[in-house]
Amino acid sequence: MHSLGCRLRRMNELSRAQIRDLMAQVLKNQDKELPADDAAQLREIGFRSLDFSELALRVEDETGEELNFDAPGLRRIATVGDVLDFLVELQHQ
Amino acid sequence: MTVATSRHLTPAGPEPAGADNRLVVGGAALTWRSLPTPTLPDPAAVLARSAVHALTAARQHAAHGTELLLSTVSRVDAVMRTELLTAGFTVGVLDDDGVHPSAPVRPRAAEPGRLWLLTSGSTGRPKRVGHTLDTLTTVRADQPERTWLCPYAPGTYAWWQVVTLSLTQPGQHLVVVEPDELDDWPTVAATHGVDAASGTPTFWRRTLYRDAEALARVPLRQITLGGEPVDQAILDQLREVFPTARISWIYASSEAGASIVVHDGRAGFPVDWLDRDTPGRPTLSIRDDELVVTSPYHGAGLAGPIRTGDRVQVLDGRVLITGRLDSDEINVGGSKVSAGVVRGVLTGHPAVAWARVTGRRAPVLGRMVVAEVVLAAADPSAADTGVPDEAALVRWCADRLPEHAVPRRIRVLTDIPVKETLKSDV
Repeated sequence: MHSLGCRLRRMNELSRAQIRDLMAQVLKNQDKELPADDAAQLREIGFRSLDFSELALRVEDETGEELNFDAPGLRRIATVGDVLDFLVELQHQ
Repeated sequence: MTVATSRHLTPAGPEPAGADNRLVVGGAALTWRSLPTPTLPDPAAVLARSAVHALTAARQHAAHGTELLLSTVSRVDAVMRTELLTAGFTVGVLDDDGVHPSAPVRPRAAEPGRLWLLTSGSTGRPKRVGHTLDTLTTVRADQPERTWLCPYAPGTYAWWQVVTLSLTQPGQHLVVVEPDELDDWPTVAATHGVDAASGTPTFWRRTLYRDAEALARVPLRQITLGGEPVDQAILDQLREVFPTARISWIYASSEAGASIVVHDGRAGFPVDWLDRDTPGRPTLSIRDDELVVTSPYHGAGLAGPIRTGDRVQVLDGRVLITGRLDSDEINVGGSKVSAGVVRGVLTGHPAVAWARVTGRRAPVLGRMVVAEVVLAAADPSAADTGVPDEAALVRWCADRLPEHAVPRRIRVLTDIPVKETLKSDV
């Protein structure tokens, strides 16, 4: 239960930049490039749900902790920034 | 229930037909006839101290038909021991001094000829399945003289397959490998002229991975695979080392008995074997992707069609057995993936010695395909064979599988994991 108003960053939590590096790796393995712009549309760079799932597993493997995929409600993930925000947030659940 | 006693007793006396076959155990040469003859309680659950004690118990059963459950000390825990005592068995360890028995909780009359197997229990508690020597005997036609390797844990279905062959047919010799000799079996086998060997695909992969040269020195003429899904890659690898040997795979289960034997060197069996009704032969069917077997060699009380729990897939005119139904199917965002098919693609990579494919919890899709592999030792004769990394293996799969079936995370292990049953958890 998170009753405190503030969040403590966990020991092995990944930063947004680190998650971005992993995302670039997922795309690079398919000979695709991750644009520097967070507003880039996932549809345009060819980052799909399989890729998103792979990225989540990579985050888990890096931190050694399971993400709680069920916790957050539905949301729209359309840009690179949405993916990074979502995974940063998932690490807190 | 009435159970016929073994029909394999020779009319002249209580010795089985293969009594004079050669047995090599722990380097010593014996015959069935020269084994000690301890009196076994009836009914008895015999926990063999070592390989020779297990053979002793099997021979005594063949000669006298006393009710027997044969296993090893390590496979029967305290709970199982209590279960067996409650079920009326005298439970005892068999060593050089005979049986050291514990009396049953509720003594009962023995069932003549009955043999009990403990299923390997890869899921949940081991289960008792009733057989007889006859229902455990797979090979009935006369065979050319062979010296068989027996690498299995005593009392398992696979162990009984090799043991009944040697007990019932003259000219079928056995070289038994103890668990601590297992990694070095090709040396033992070459020394004692083993020319026939039966093992799981994991067993063969491990052997090829550890020392293919030592394996090539074993003069094998018959290679048999069973106990796990058999893929084309392992058949091809063995063919390369043994170009003239007969390579067969067998589908058998403790419940249904032996049901499928394939000798053409290909994975799967021809699709026209399905729903064929031949007297004395098992009938094979598919129901909802599951292999269903109606077998004359089924375990006691299991007459009629048996749902095997094994998943099948028809591909190019062959029925492939891809794995256990409860673990083979991975649902990736609504698309069904067979772990066995993906495993076959990975092991088809020249640098992959072994693979395990599983589903892993993932967001959006529910599950995602992931894998673990063991890489083959690099071939020094081949120039520039780089060791593939995760990305290269993913690309190999992506070229051969639908997108959702491609394992996205592939972990490299340093050795092939193996259980006492010589199966991996694949």
